[in-house]
Amino acid sequence: MLRMRSLLPPLLFTLAYAVVSLGVTNSYYQLILTLVPVWSVFGLSWNLLSGYTGLISFGHAAFFGIGAYATALGQIYFDISPWLLIPVAAMLGGIAGLLIGFPTFRLQGHYFALAMLAYPLAILYVFEWLGFQEVTLPIKRDAPIAYMQFADPHFYTLLGLALMLATIVLTQVIERSRFGMALLAIKQNEAAAEAAGINTLAWKLRAIILSGAIAAAIGGFYAQVLLVVTPQSVFGMLVSAQALTVAMFGGVGTVWGPVIGSVILIPLAEILHAEAGARIPGIQGVIFGIAIVCVILLAPEGLFWKLRDLLRKRRAPKPTIDVTPEAAAANITALKPVARQRAAKGEVMLEVKNLSRSFGGLKAVQDVSFKLHKNEILGIIGPNGAGKTTLFNLLNGFLKPSQGEVLIDGRNMSGQRPHVICEAGIGRTFQVMRPFLRMSILDNVVVGAYVRARTDDEARKMAADAVARVGLSAVADRLAGELSTKELRLMELARAIAGQPRILLLDETLAGLGHGEADEVVAVIQQLARDGMTIAIIEHTMQAMVRLVDRFLVLDHGAVITEGLPEVVTRDSRVVEAYLGKKWAGHAAN
Amino acid sequence: MTAKSKITISRRTLLAGASGTLIASRAAWAQQPAEVKVGLLVPISGLYARPGTVMREGAEMAIDHINAQGGVKALGGAKLKLVVLDSGDTTEKAKNAAQRMVAQETDLVAASGAYLSSFTLAVTEVTERANLPMLTLSYSDLITERGFKYVFQTAATAGAQARQALPQLIKLAETASGKRPKTVAILTDNTGASIASAKAMREGLLAENQLQLIVDETFTPPLADATSLVQKIRSAKPDLLFFLPTVISDAKLLLEKMNEFGLGQGKIPTISFGIAIAEPDMLQTVSPELLQGVLTCVASWGAKGHEALIAELKTRYKEPWMTQNAISTYGDMWVIKDALEKAGKADRVAVGEALRTMDGGPSKYYPLGEIKFDEKGRRVGAGMTIVQWQAGVPVTVFPPELALAKPFWPKT
Repeated sequence: MLRMRSLLPPLLFTLAYAVVSLGVTNSYYQLILTLVPVWSVFGLSWNLLSGYTGLISFGHAAFFGIGAYATALGQIYFDISPWLLIPVAAMLGGIAGLLIGFPTFRLQGHYFALAMLAYPLAILYVFEWLGFQEVTLPIKRDAPIAYMQFADPHFYTLLGLALMLATIVLTQVIERSRFGMALLAIKQNEAAAEAAGINTLAWKLRAIILSGAIAAAIGGFYAQVLLVVTPQSVFGMLVSAQALTVAMFGGVGTVWGPVIGSVILIPLAEILHAEAGARIPGIQGVIFGIAIVCVILLAPEGLFWKLRDLLRKRRAPKPTIDVTPEAAAANITALKPVARQRAAKGEVMLEVKNLSRSFGGLKAVQDVSFKLHKNEILGIIGPNGAGKTTLFNLLNGFLKPSQGEVLIDGRNMSGQRPHVICEAGIGRTFQVMRPFLRMSILDNVVVGAYVRARTDDEARKMAADAVARVGLSAVADRLAGELSTKELRLMELARAIAGQPRILLLDETLAGLGHGEADEVVAVIQQLARDGMTIAIIEHTMQAMVRLVDRFLVLDHGAVITEGLPEVVTRDSRVVEAYLGKKWAGHAAN
Repeated sequence: MTAKSKITISRRTLLAGASGTLIASRAAWAQQPAEVKVGLLVPISGLYARPGTVMREGAEMAIDHINAQGGVKALGGAKLKLVVLDSGDTTEKAKNAAQRMVAQETDLVAASGAYLSSFTLAVTEVTERANLPMLTLSYSDLITERGFKYVFQTAATAGAQARQALPQLIKLAETASGKRPKTVAILTDNTGASIASAKAMREGLLAENQLQLIVDETFTPPLADATSLVQKIRSAKPDLLFFLPTVISDAKLLLEKMNEFGLGQGKIPTISFGIAIAEPDMLQTVSPELLQGVLTCVASWGAKGHEALIAELKTRYKEPWMTQNAISTYGDMWVIKDALEKAGKADRVAVGEALRTMDGGPSKYYPLGEIKFDEKGRRVGAGMTIVQWQAGVPVTVFPPELALAKPFWPKT
């Protein structure tokens, strides 16, 4: 049912486009109609990698050009039909994606973008050096159809449309699956995604392979339309930029963005070139540039998102404001704080032995050892810079320890990748929240569920369950961008427990909350503990902590000062000194 | 011939026929010679706007001259009208412009364009399918190797130029210096045209002319430093240096370095291919003294017999001299006019047929040869010119029948 409904818009769009195309007899307009799907598919391929993962590629021309040259050279040297060569080109593009992605994914952010920029420029020189400055597709007068050389330009448009429809549907399928969720999670916070059990490198590689394959296929088709391939026209900077332009203009991270972008921009550029450029040569570039700048300023995320936000506001202004907060509040307060039996010293879930980590001369964590027992709430406290978060990062695999062991169920897991440790049963939240603002609460939480779920349905069920446990069921469909800090903290909590961890690491979950709000979150954490969860929590605010935890572990300057029951630890002069300075240590003793 | 191409042709012929009758009937109705439209598809925006603009100037001058001399007499003195289309600065834009030209300017009888050979390749894929005759000064061999019937190459192809250039240069060196050069150095960037020229020389042409290659260097523009290249040349001391830059800054850098090392101003005769090194823009960055004596082999140049045209171009458009782009495009318009006279009707298919079969005698505006095209569409006997920088102006110095000045050669 859902599948069919989502298929309908692209089908209708393609159909309408085809009807328009068939009605156009002017071969020039028809050529423009052919180029629109070409560039939108290229934009979609870029979007699949960069739009969803947020790793901006300035070098998608590498794949495009490989496809174009494969299709052209295959015809010239081996006399193979483009009907066969375009799928071959797609395969080559996929291989190129793997070869490029594997080393380049070591880089992040701007460094990734710049490294990607280098590939097509390097390949451009290789093709020039090989002597392929100008390659023309041989004209096939005997068997034009077998060589994709149509006398009627409508066929090119229809073929381009078919490729576009296929790419749209593929993107939609990915968007809704575990694949898309993983990519989105990587975009929002790669570290958090790893911590939620997502093997980020594997998913990124899958994305670039698929993206490269699509780009190469459409590059091959482009060669067929242009009939001439030059390094500049397929590997050039402008080609890579074209993918970014259509996607960013139309909307990044959505299937419709690149389509909207190219439906508007490609004809616009051509009209400007033909009309304005005929009067004042060169003016077309100026107008085009200004138009793009204006749209980006007004709709920084692209037209699609701007329009969607406007529509949402107009369609339903009341219900979101009036009804939901009440429902949410009602639901959350339903969880009353109930006193909990202190956990007996049960079986050891997590054991840390002599864990150390230094950054240059700074010993962030030195020789820390402690045990976490089943169903216990351990509070890790200490002044700023005591090494609390570093300790968590060592536990869940973000950092590799310089020394020491982290034993989970007796197995040493130190130095493992975060997603592996997550699979072993450790979930965590972050000091700085990284919600996926454009997604609903439920969708946010689903990301965390995939580590345990085998199917998409199972993941949804687990996510819904986690949302219920933190008391956000009533507002599960609201966008994360509309939530309060408290709700976001709860949502993050839900995301961490969706993967059904046995141990939960909470990093300053109460930060930024008011008094009443903190109590509500504390209630939820206590409920989790009652349900059998083992929890380690970092917190600054002592008040809340004293009521919440079973035991304290106090860190200062990366080392354990003391460990013990809350009543004892809070009176310990070393603890008071660490927090308040020597002067107060004397007061505490009295 | 397959059914497919027959269909295309019949449809196109029908279209062309229809437009032909349209023009004819309009002419009959108005009792006046109608205008005949000629296309010019060149880059007038973007990176290549400058050469494209010069081509347009040449075309405009020709159209004015033709019309002033009574238009197309076979069509009752019909005037020519120039339709200019911008090919932009990418292959895709050039192809789009060509499609626009054939779709929207249906009454064009012929066209000229599109400067860069990769643009011309894409453009002619369109014009060929629309049976629109296309004259071009682009000289990539590929353009006329595809079996197209509506492409006419007025310049000698790159391959032919390479074959012609060396014997001519040797002859030039012998006449000027009394000594036959024996050793050469090649210094080329890795852009398409340069690579093609260098490749032809390396693979046989040098050997054929008993020249020995002693330095062979390829660089990627833009050059950061030319010192090591020039050092190699200084220590090897070749009789000739073939220097094939595309980017002006590279030319400047190397010439300055040569001068610094005491090799400049023709001490080692420096020869280029193509018009890059003889464009007016050169003077904006390189001083005339450095350029003095530098030679370049070009497909065409303002030469003997064009003095009036060169003067007109100077006064009308403030161009300092007449490059290949201006004179070739000027000539294209006259060839189209001649073809119209021969065809006797303003119809692209007839004009194409006239171009294929015409025999217009010795060429006036292109160097050497005749106004006649072979079965591939290449101009029969197409020659080339050698141009030398002399006192801040690149002037034609070879062949003697076209030379505007005597070449000078350093006596070593």
